[in-house]
Amino acid sequence: MYEIVVGQLAATVRILTPLALAALGELIVERSGVLNLSIEGIMLFGAFVAFITTFYTDNPWIGILSAMGVGVLLALFFGILTVLLALDQIIVGLSMNILAMGATFFFYRAIFGWYVSPVPPHVETIITEMPIPGLSMIPVIGPIFFNQTVFTYLLFILIPLTYIVLYKTRIGLHLRACGEDPLVADYLGINVYKYRFIALAIEGVLGGIAGALLSISQYNMFLDNMTAGRGYIAIALVILGGWDPLKMLLGTLLYAFVEALQLRIQAAGVVVTAWFPYQFALMLPYLVALIALILFGRRIRGPKALAKPYRRVR
Amino acid sequence: MKFKLKYSEKVKVIYTLYPVISIVIALAILSLVIYIIGVDPIKALYYLYFGMMGNYNYVSETLIRATPILLVSLGLAIAFTAKVWNIGAEGQLYMGGLIAAIVALNSGGLPSAIAIPLIWICAGLAGAAWAFIPAILKAKYEINEIFTTIMMNYIAIYFTSYMLHGPLRDPVSHFPETPTIPENTWLPRIIPQYRFHAGSLFSLVVLVPLVYIMLSRSTLGFKLKLVGSSRESARYYGVDVEKSIIYAMLLSGFFAGLAGANEVTGVVFKMRPEISPGYGFTGIAVALLGRLNAFGVMLASIFMGGLINGSYTMHRMAQVPVGVAYFVQGLLIILVVAGEYILKRIMLVKGVSVR
Repeated sequence: MYEIVVGQLAATVRILTPLALAALGELIVERSGVLNLSIEGIMLFGAFVAFITTFYTDNPWIGILSAMGVGVLLALFFGILTVLLALDQIIVGLSMNILAMGATFFFYRAIFGWYVSPVPPHVETIITEMPIPGLSMIPVIGPIFFNQTVFTYLLFILIPLTYIVLYKTRIGLHLRACGEDPLVADYLGINVYKYRFIALAIEGVLGGIAGALLSISQYNMFLDNMTAGRGYIAIALVILGGWDPLKMLLGTLLYAFVEALQLRIQAAGVVVTAWFPYQFALMLPYLVALIALILFGRRIRGPKALAKPYRRVR
Repeated sequence: MKFKLKYSEKVKVIYTLYPVISIVIALAILSLVIYIIGVDPIKALYYLYFGMMGNYNYVSETLIRATPILLVSLGLAIAFTAKVWNIGAEGQLYMGGLIAAIVALNSGGLPSAIAIPLIWICAGLAGAAWAFIPAILKAKYEINEIFTTIMMNYIAIYFTSYMLHGPLRDPVSHFPETPTIPENTWLPRIIPQYRFHAGSLFSLVVLVPLVYIMLSRSTLGFKLKLVGSSRESARYYGVDVEKSIIYAMLLSGFFAGLAGANEVTGVVFKMRPEISPGYGFTGIAVALLGRLNAFGVMLASIFMGGLINGSYTMHRMAQVPVGVAYFVQGLLIILVVAGEYILKRIMLVKGVSVR
């Protein structure tokens, strides 16, 4: 019993990490007044590029770095179209996601051949757990929180840090001002474009890492559309958390628990799947996200200028 | 004879031709990629053309492939006009296909003239019902429809998979699929020896003009445009914004459901888990590529249908990896979205009317 509970909770934290990293990036961007739907595409490209570079260099850290680079490039491309040229953020976001799906699908086959191989290509070395000496030996807490990849620890530093920067510093105040009323922010001498671009770059880094963790840490291969809507779920978690990093983490925790449970049901074999078909297990995370949106997503007030293009009066 | 165009007129001409220009740019980028992979781009593009419309059979196949995309994107054009972002066409298509197969299997020897319209209407209603949940959540509780429709896509696809593995499975088949539907529910073919069927003809000849008139001439179309341009001003003019959002969503769900029925009654003759290779998402690209205009959407969907079929020919004959169609689709949508809006901005500054 102890084994099962700790195993389930450790899996929850493992699944939580990429999702919360992406959601944190999106939260920062949305606080600056930009709705970036292309986080889904950034994660998918991140997963793809991390897999390819790791496949050829055998070094997952180069994979992570290249995923970060691609993430930043895509986020800045999104920024050029929506922040500088003030195009519709939803249309550009959706379009970039369609491009991400199509391009990764095509280039995966272009690189690894078009024939159907019985064994899909996989990488030998992946990002593995880095137990913290001492702390990981504590019963219950140790294996759940301190026997994870370095990015989980990074996440648990970034969440409170974001909270402090957002609410207790001048930078955070300025960032939130850009998201509430960019015109007034501009009058007060805040460079709205600069804040939005920096926020997007941060999201690119975090989204790239999040995608990479899917392909070269949780799996050792790339699958078509492997993010499967997780970028959209990350945005839904930002909304459900009321654009607050701490509340968002709580929601992500609950979601990741369901996702871990889902994997456990699938792995349990015929005994369980006989009365709980695996399709329902697969459906569960999406159903939970939908129900959560229905129950708690009503009229949550977000940043006032969210998704509204801002054009500077010259 | 010499043509002298003013700068503003030039911009207008470029704007009108821009979808064609972006197709040329996308194919140029594709050729470059194909060249890098090590395939002769001229040969590849020739087979792309050949698979699109090399002979009458390929033309017929292109139109068949285009039909579900056309149906989905006609619906999405309606929704997007009101800035209702229905991303759930894929799920609505699956629900439509599922209901179409169930109704067809239980149609008990009804004459085709009754059975087929009945199946199509039921499938459309199933798609609309699946869209109703996000619609009501959007209209009444302001819950963003993008996320609810995405979640409902996955729920619909897994639900269909369960039904096809379980209750609806054909006991004789090796695959998770329903039994073949009775022949009286098959869409009749129009031209002997070609697969071009009544569903394609009906969509092209009846539904396209219908949606065009609805969007450009009817009161509902005008209301949807108002809601799309500004919710506040629509409310000011006395438009029931909530109702319009629900109508937009239901109509797009209905059309996606029809796309499912079209595949079941016209192409596959049974329901399968892989009934749609992402038509719901291709529809988004096509709706935007066709500028939310029914005839534009028709041309764009025929191009996409041809591109998908042509990419298979290109794969068979020139060893270009599959998935080219989805790559070009992604390139196209970025080119169109970025380029068109920039052109529109220039026209706005120069005072050229966009109509």
